[in-house]
Amino acid sequence: MSTQIILLVLLPFAAGLACYLLRAAFLRSLVVLATAAILTAASVALLSAGPISYSPGPFLGLGWGLIVSVLDFALLGVILFYGFKHGNLLIKIFSVLQMLGLLILELFWVDHSAQVPAFHVDQLSAVMVLIISIVGSLICVFALPYMKEHEEHLHLEASRQPRFFLFLVLFLGAMNGLVMANNILWLYFFFESTTLCSFMLIGHDGTEIAVKNAVRALWMNSAGGLAFVLGMMFTYASVGSLDIQVILASGGAGAGLLVGMGLICLAGFTKAAQVPFQSWLLGAMVAPTPVSALLHSSTMVKAGVYVVLRMAPAYAGSFVSDGVALCGAFTFLACAALAIGQSNGKKILAYSTISNLGLIIACAGINTPAATAAAIFLIIFHAVSKALLFLCVGTIEQRIGSRDIEDMRGLYLRMPQTAWITITGILTMLLPPFGVLMAKWLAIESASGQLVVVTMMALASALTVVYWARWAGTLLAAPGGGRPAPEGLPALIRVPLLALVAGAVLLSVAAPQVYDAVVAPMLPAMPSPIEAFYLYPLFAVLGAGLLLALRAARRSRATAYSAPYMSGANIDMNPDGTWNGPMNQPVGAVAGNYYLPGLFGEERLTTFVNVAAAALIVLMIGGAL
Amino acid sequence: MITTILLILVGLVLAPLAGGLLAGIDRRLTAWFQSRQGPPIMQAFYDVAKLFGKQPMASNPWLVLCAWVYLVAAALSCVLFFLQGDLLLIFFVQAIGAVFLVMGAMSVPSPYSQVGAQRELIQVLTYEPLLILVFVSLYLATGSFQVSDILAHETPLLLQLPLMFIVLGYALTIKLRKSPFDFSTSHHGHQELVKGVLTEYSGPYLGIIEIAHWYETVLVLGVCALFWSTNVLMMTLLLAVTYMAEIIIDNTMARMTWRWMLKYVWCIGLGLSVVNLIWLYAKI
Repeated sequence: MSTQIILLVLLPFAAGLACYLLRAAFLRSLVVLATAAILTAASVALLSAGPISYSPGPFLGLGWGLIVSVLDFALLGVILFYGFKHGNLLIKIFSVLQMLGLLILELFWVDHSAQVPAFHVDQLSAVMVLIISIVGSLICVFALPYMKEHEEHLHLEASRQPRFFLFLVLFLGAMNGLVMANNILWLYFFFESTTLCSFMLIGHDGTEIAVKNAVRALWMNSAGGLAFVLGMMFTYASVGSLDIQVILASGGAGAGLLVGMGLICLAGFTKAAQVPFQSWLLGAMVAPTPVSALLHSSTMVKAGVYVVLRMAPAYAGSFVSDGVALCGAFTFLACAALAIGQSNGKKILAYSTISNLGLIIACAGINTPAATAAAIFLIIFHAVSKALLFLCVGTIEQRIGSRDIEDMRGLYLRMPQTAWITITGILTMLLPPFGVLMAKWLAIESASGQLVVVTMMALASALTVVYWARWAGTLLAAPGGGRPAPEGLPALIRVPLLALVAGAVLLSVAAPQVYDAVVAPMLPAMPSPIEAFYLYPLFAVLGAGLLLALRAARRSRATAYSAPYMSGANIDMNPDGTWNGPMNQPVGAVAGNYYLPGLFGEERLTTFVNVAAAALIVLMIGGAL
Repeated sequence: MITTILLILVGLVLAPLAGGLLAGIDRRLTAWFQSRQGPPIMQAFYDVAKLFGKQPMASNPWLVLCAWVYLVAAALSCVLFFLQGDLLLIFFVQAIGAVFLVMGAMSVPSPYSQVGAQRELIQVLTYEPLLILVFVSLYLATGSFQVSDILAHETPLLLQLPLMFIVLGYALTIKLRKSPFDFSTSHHGHQELVKGVLTEYSGPYLGIIEIAHWYETVLVLGVCALFWSTNVLMMTLLLAVTYMAEIIIDNTMARMTWRWMLKYVWCIGLGLSVVNLIWLYAKI
């Protein structure tokens, strides 16, 4: 298994470099496709391995611990450099403080003679590796034709794709390293690598707004990095080990550990863009779509929730745990409300991502076996559906030149295939019997013991229905009788879309098996909550119902379409609803959605949400002191 | 096994019949309040039978699809209730229908249907958290989300959860589209909204929607019945009083705006829920 671990971490680094050095587009495609295939195979092989620990041997006579320490400082140096380059005081302060903290840890505190396995792969890690390697690879493949077209739009003189793919592919390696690391210092190294990668990718287009948002992402994540360093220091001071397995086993220890865990959770919150740190992820959508898809579904933000979930046993039953649940549930609620106020498709997706991550973090905070199962389920199903939806919006945007959902009205007639894939994607996020909803159900049931948390979940769940249903309906809003035009998507775009939509649906069908294979080994004492004996009848009845409905709808094509009701003022019974207006002039029917800016607008809510969220975080960490 | 089949049949066949009958009684009572004679009790069935006799017409194939999915989801949630399954799951299955009803209405470029769909979403937004909290309260009182376990509870739940029953009443009023919450569609097609979310569903497809609505009525009343499940007589009485209250509210209230509904119902509903839930936590 050690080969797989090395491969999963180092191959993306090597492939990224190859993408950077080999300038021919053909070679780059070949490298990306080959990497995708190898990563997928290695991650699948890793799943069956069972828990293992592994430390790589020395490299060129140097221990890897030393190399990672040096790289840590190099990474912080690079971040500091960008702090100076963009004249951002916060980045400078945060990276210098991180260096100081690391120096103290490395030089004075840490006992370097202690043997700490560098990697430990258990079910949770294996699941994360699977998501990163498969979903992430599909996004990289999608990026190949996408970036070609993207650069054609920009009319660049020299292609910047080598640099783009360097960081895109490297990101996968950093993420794989992060979720397998067992030495907390290694975890920190990969954590910071993802910060740097995301900074580079967000600022890729080099426009003023892109740079501004990239800098914001960097300072917020550097703040998270600082929280991580402080968390490590508190943890090491109280447990005396860098070994995450040892830290987890020492649960119930004193206040020092809890403060450390609180700080590490805070670092996870920044990375997962939880309120009040949501603005960096919202700003990140200036980047090309594959970047948003990668940041939102399988990498970056998942690193945040992974850290919180990984550390959960160490703070189980403490005040910190309740605090984490509260913060997560509040983010779930606040971002679901903010999503309603948006008509920008990517922004809706961004808020929905943050909102769902909030739910995952709330589950980690509830910290019961059922809640943990729900969190893992959400990570899996959300990654697939959200990656799909981002790629759909990207595809739509390249065709219609807008990401506003009002401009997607009646998209079914223009892009039938993408439209139905998008609608399926939305339904897999929203309705039973699909995985996300089943996990949400489990989450609400396990939150029942906590009044505030469950109330926020109930409200958020309702808000979620509104923004998804509205979007799906908008895509359908087309006059009857029109024949959709065939779309002709490039194969490298169509295949990832179809693979993800098939994955989203089939994974939900296989939810009981996914549970047995993935979640059950982690929670041996708990009976499976996703039982085949009620899930399959549900699937069967709803599936049969859908087939029946489709058949009825298809048969209705034979009958003539009636015009929509326009109080009898229709012109020629046009199915598009044109009507006879003032001065006998034809007027087209126009409709728009409710976005309720007075209730859910960003201007209205953001300040309040940020203040409340900051208060909750202070509560979470302060309570541990 | 035989019990299961019988329960499925009850949910599938008897429930919509009861729902239709209730609609007839509702109209009769309303007429009585207004000193009119009113239609026969069976009028709801005559109406639907007539709708099915009409030539099928739709503005859009999606309408047909959505009407059918709405019916399937409503019937399935009702059957799951009679099979005494998990309340939250039943509710989420019912939500499939609600979402598809809205999607169908949104698929037609008609202003009435579009506005109705948006308002319907706000109705969903209003009642969904309340219903989830009602289920949570049932869980806290009985230790389970399963209808079978809740039925096995030995004391009437109304005594423990009086405020939650009022909260459920709000959800019931919204779900039944009664005044003051009848603004996604109304029983009177001559208003500014015409028939709102239902405007574009016509003929047999409107008939399908009607039947689905009967299922939903029975489902929500079924949840009400859980509040006094220890005694059949008391259960019937509770349901009769509740439904009577709905009719009286419908007849004495004017239609309000959705802004008012969202703020008012969330404030009152959440307030009552929190108070009642705190009582339960205090006891545990």
